[in-house]
Amino acid sequence: MELEEMKTLWREMSVQIDEQKQLTDALIMDMTQQKYTQKFGKITTYETVGAVICFTIALFLIINFNRLDTWYLISCGIFTLGYLITLPILVLRSLKSIKSIHIGRNSYKESIIGFAKAKKHLLLIQKLGIYCNFILFLTCIPVASKLLGNKDIFLTGGSLWKYGFILITTIVMIFVSKWGYRCYKNMINSAENILKELED
Amino acid sequence: MQDKKAFVAIIKENEGIIYKITRVYTDTGEDQKDLYQDVVYQLWKAFDSFKGHSKISTWIYRITLNTAIAYLNKSKRRVKQVRLNFELLNPIDKKDTLTEERLTALYAMIKQLNVIEKGIIVLFLEGKSYQEIATITGFSSSNVGTRLSRIKTKLKKTLKTNMYGT
Repeated sequence: MELEEMKTLWREMSVQIDEQKQLTDALIMDMTQQKYTQKFGKITTYETVGAVICFTIALFLIINFNRLDTWYLISCGIFTLGYLITLPILVLRSLKSIKSIHIGRNSYKESIIGFAKAKKHLLLIQKLGIYCNFILFLTCIPVASKLLGNKDIFLTGGSLWKYGFILITTIVMIFVSKWGYRCYKNMINSAENILKELED
Repeated sequence: MQDKKAFVAIIKENEGIIYKITRVYTDTGEDQKDLYQDVVYQLWKAFDSFKGHSKISTWIYRITLNTAIAYLNKSKRRVKQVRLNFELLNPIDKKDTLTEERLTALYAMIKQLNVIEKGIIVLFLEGKSYQEIATITGFSSSNVGTRLSRIKTKLKKTLKTNMYGT
């Protein structure tokens, strides 16, 4: 199909469509109202709930931080705390920047650039999250053990099932992380390609 | 009240534009309805700020395309979408299967293009001049020309691949 042939077919379709009228006055106003009420429940729900959970745990950790009495427990505590506070903030900020792209004012090009950049940024944070989740898993166990059970896991050791659980979870996390990394890499590449093409 | 009346009239006058563009950016009828609703909502939101500096159709094209881009970026993140019960326009006479096939092929070819090219080709097919496409998309007229010629080559290649399977 040549471009001119496509144009002719498109024109025929346009004529057919223009002869029809499907939308009623009430339906059009419903569409504006419907979306308006939905808007608030959308997009950031999961991230906001996740952030609240992270901040609550962080608060608990701050209050009980003095109970972490060795350098390695303090190190684990600092990493856990840093993760729980920083990552949700970065994700929420990134989502906010996606939401703040002005559809009504921007040109098509500006919108594509805005979304591609914001998406790339969010994906990079999520990619970083994959690595951090892995470390978090290893640091939060001794911290939780100390704060919830008052046991220093490095000194007291643990039962066989506990080590088994850690080993299996670690293996699963390695696979999930590898899979996630590949997914994010592809998506970031696709956003980068769009940005590159816009420079042409 | 006056605003509402004017808005409804504009949407009714241009529902074909919204239909054609939303179909390019979605794969199913249900997704198209979601995007369609989203476009009407975004147009309503931006209606107050429309100062009449550009043609109303230019404004509609711009917002519809921008909403489609936004939709593509958040479709995987959708929570629960309240979909209104409405029928989409029917672009062809139901008995005309040949035209239906050709139109399906046309949309399939457009959908193979990337997001930048989709916007440009749709406006080109809508009969817009390079200058008008430039105004709506934010690219320069010469850049629109260059991109259209690339799109043409790409479409020819797609056609060859589809015909000969190589």
